[in-house]
Amino acid sequence: MAISDGDSELLQAPSDDKNEILNRTASTYTPLDSYALQKGQYSHQYASLYFVRLAQLKPAVEAIASEAWANFTIGSETATRKDRVLDVRQGELCWVAGTVYMEMPLKPNVLEDIGKEHWIAAPPSRHKYDEGTNALAENGERGAHAGGQKGLVGTQIMLEDESGRLRLTGDYLNGGLLVTGAIVAVVGTENSDGDFEVLDLRVPDLPRQPQRWETEDGDAALAGKRTTKKRGKAGKVAIVSGLGISGVEGDTLALDLLMEYLLGESTDSASQDQAADISRLIIAGNSLANASPIPSRSELAAAHSTTKKGGRKTYGYDSSAYNSAPTDRLDQWLAQLLPSIPITLLPGDQDPTSTALPQQPIHAAMFPHSRAYMSPPSAPEAEGPGWFHTTTNPSEFSVDGWRFHGTGGQPVDDVYKYLPDCEERLEMMEAMLRWRLMAPTAPDTLWCRPVEGEDGFVLKECPHVYFVGNQPKFETNVVEGPVGQEVRIISVPAFKESGEVIVLDLETLVPEVVKFEVFDEG
Amino acid sequence: MAQDYTEWLAINVLNDQQLVNYRSLSRALKVHSNLAKQMLFDFHRKQNAKKPGTVHATYLITGTKRKAIPTPITNDTQSQEDGEDAVMQSSPVLPSSSAAKPEEEDAKSTLVQTVMLVKEEHLEKAQVTFESITGMHIYSLQANGLGDIQALTECNRKIAVDYASEDPLEIWKQYGTIQNPNVKRRTQRRQPPPPTLAPAKDAAPKAKLVSTTSKPAALKKEGSKDSQDSKPASKPTSAKATPEPSKKPPMNKRQGSDIFKSFAKGKTKAQAAQESQESAVSTPKAALEDEQMGGFSDEDETDEVEAAVVEDSTVVNGKSKKDREAELQAMMEQEDEVMEDAAGNSPEIAEPDADEGAIDKPDSQAADEPNETVQVENGRRRGRRRVMRKKTVKDEDGYLVTKEEAAWESFSEDEPAPKKIKVPPTTSMNKPAAAAAGKKSAKPGQGNIMSFFGKK
Repeated sequence: MAISDGDSELLQAPSDDKNEILNRTASTYTPLDSYALQKGQYSHQYASLYFVRLAQLKPAVEAIASEAWANFTIGSETATRKDRVLDVRQGELCWVAGTVYMEMPLKPNVLEDIGKEHWIAAPPSRHKYDEGTNALAENGERGAHAGGQKGLVGTQIMLEDESGRLRLTGDYLNGGLLVTGAIVAVVGTENSDGDFEVLDLRVPDLPRQPQRWETEDGDAALAGKRTTKKRGKAGKVAIVSGLGISGVEGDTLALDLLMEYLLGESTDSASQDQAADISRLIIAGNSLANASPIPSRSELAAAHSTTKKGGRKTYGYDSSAYNSAPTDRLDQWLAQLLPSIPITLLPGDQDPTSTALPQQPIHAAMFPHSRAYMSPPSAPEAEGPGWFHTTTNPSEFSVDGWRFHGTGGQPVDDVYKYLPDCEERLEMMEAMLRWRLMAPTAPDTLWCRPVEGEDGFVLKECPHVYFVGNQPKFETNVVEGPVGQEVRIISVPAFKESGEVIVLDLETLVPEVVKFEVFDEG
Repeated sequence: MAQDYTEWLAINVLNDQQLVNYRSLSRALKVHSNLAKQMLFDFHRKQNAKKPGTVHATYLITGTKRKAIPTPITNDTQSQEDGEDAVMQSSPVLPSSSAAKPEEEDAKSTLVQTVMLVKEEHLEKAQVTFESITGMHIYSLQANGLGDIQALTECNRKIAVDYASEDPLEIWKQYGTIQNPNVKRRTQRRQPPPPTLAPAKDAAPKAKLVSTTSKPAALKKEGSKDSQDSKPASKPTSAKATPEPSKKPPMNKRQGSDIFKSFAKGKTKAQAAQESQESAVSTPKAALEDEQMGGFSDEDETDEVEAAVVEDSTVVNGKSKKDREAELQAMMEQEDEVMEDAAGNSPEIAEPDADEGAIDKPDSQAADEPNETVQVENGRRRGRRRVMRKKTVKDEDGYLVTKEEAAWESFSEDEPAPKKIKVPPTTSMNKPAAAAAGKKSAKPGQGNIMSFFGKK
């Protein structure tokens, strides 16, 4: 263990050396309002969401499939394309595109819930909707199931489009990641049971990736103007998630350490120089712990059991139960950081905003101190985003020319539940990019809003960086696409548990971790 | 300078037995944070040389630690991954590249830059866990051993409270905070009032712009005369009665910026009040009220905020008293409706009514009190007078109780006598309103609407 020279600089008597005032690198920021909602969003049916999604992605997946399977022959037969799922005929080799639907035994089913509500206690929350063969093997059971031997027990996979549903079978399915809502094209044939045996599968894959700075300069370029704007060297961006401020617990020291580090006050001058290079902070969800407006099942049970005012149910909102300490703490923390660094705040599933995706920005009323740094709602659009930008979840924005796409973690957590034996979050994130869907399992098991016209979660342009917050640990990888796209995917751990902040260098798009901890004597 | 910090630290750490971290030292002595860290070190060394064990320290170590990161693709599930990759992507590039990675990553583990806080007794143990240390400095000092290291959050919390009046964009530079030249902040929000009026001037044209776009009805004339003085008159109404007289001097100093600030915001709030006549108006009021009061907490006003923002909207830069009163009248009529709807808002609304009434009342009462002084200068009446203020407090049962008490305030008018006709209507409006409010607030405690439905 070596102690470098820089160590002794601050362990000495006060010197007369001039301490320099550092300036932070500037951050160019352009938010995109891809997920901002207009009013009146609940007037449509949810089912249309699937049709709209299929309509949007079918051309892309069919293009890929026809290219791949143009000469797909078995024996003497060539695969033919079928327009509708129900057009497949027995014994005929063909390919068709549709939406995947997975029927899983442990998936929440509203009809069952209603039927059982009165006489069965709430089931424990499931981690996975299907136990998987591992669980069965432990119990010494083995059974025949439609989903294949590996991974899926009792699950049925179907392909669906406007015409109907087709059950899929075949060993090929075991190798792949599939969740409800993914749009795929499959080639194979219908067997005597009426099931479609899958021989190969294709997904829409990554969409077109814009160039760096395209968001800012794109319009000018199209207009034929020369974009000679000189861009300075980009700095770094810090991504953190899961601050988990609860206002009650006494372990917020790590938060203070983080704040001092970002402000450049703590640590020695070498680290302070590094901190000055961080040009923006992105908070990806769950800044507050347990501040969601909808009480969880355990809270409801607790409210039911404790006799309150003679055992009567209290209707409406009990305002005396409001504890403003968590939001105060968060607001103070942000207000101390904002004079020095711009912040983008995404909400998470624990934050006080809508629970249906896309979650809307946390309202300015929650931040009396930090509000001064936000642009007022009445400000004209041309002024640009505020210094403190509360944004939607999921969110798309451009930092220093690079397109960032991020969520607070709910879509990935939901996809995780569908895959019994897969623990690899990065794989799921990559799969979501290739399906071009930010939230494939919505509206099946993920709350979202019904839309008509277009599914907001379809990825239209490939981002350069895809980050997901509130994941169990930090992982990163680069996903490559068919026409040279490269996406850096980052899974950001929750700060409350891990104390880690991801610092992404914007010139190289390589992330590194900075960890804040308090020495534990134990 | 050398003596200052030794003295300061001796007082705070040894005598007062407080926790001092480098940030509190830097704010107290207005020095750069790095200098503060050096001061802490020096003090720590000297004191412990004199008498060992008197001062305990915590250290902040920055360095790299080795962390074995489990590779994203492990060898066991290799086959599964290959299968998935073949399914998931259409180009063969990915499986080969991701297959190559696991072999590399298994060999090396990553270095993680770590910032660690450690008590001095564990310093050696902590240093051992680091792969390499790039920097170390003293984080805090305390007289006795530190029981719970989490208590250090107290230092930062105290800083936030004690130095809340400092404008970060101006003052923090001396502490060594990283400056950002691009920071955008709205000046119309409540901030600690800046020492000079320069920022207020910037806000003035902005405020003027806002005024032209805001509601048409009552805000017409822009003769900027005496709203200045009436501003402090109405401001104290929002605080408790007793601290008011003491606040007058500091208030007058910061009139300029206060007015423009509240002007700009007050406009929008008044507009909101005008437009929405439901109880929903109480929420924007309450929200703004909180922030309004938070800003003036710098002026040592109390936390308990009773005043509504509505009264600020009445104090507008450049309105003559007549327009203000016309607007007050309109607003008070509205507020009466609002009060019927929401009992909880009644204290807030009752107060501005009382206050508007109070502003109107003084001249009628001016002659009554022997202690009041009234000076007449240039057609302007100025002086101190006694007014009856209404205060609403929540007692231990949660009931809202409204009390009237006398208070002093300073006033100034540009007209000899405000309309006396206004006075009786306002007072009579107050009473039934307040009575209704009191009744409403008392009612939920006594009877519950659910009692209609019997046991359920």
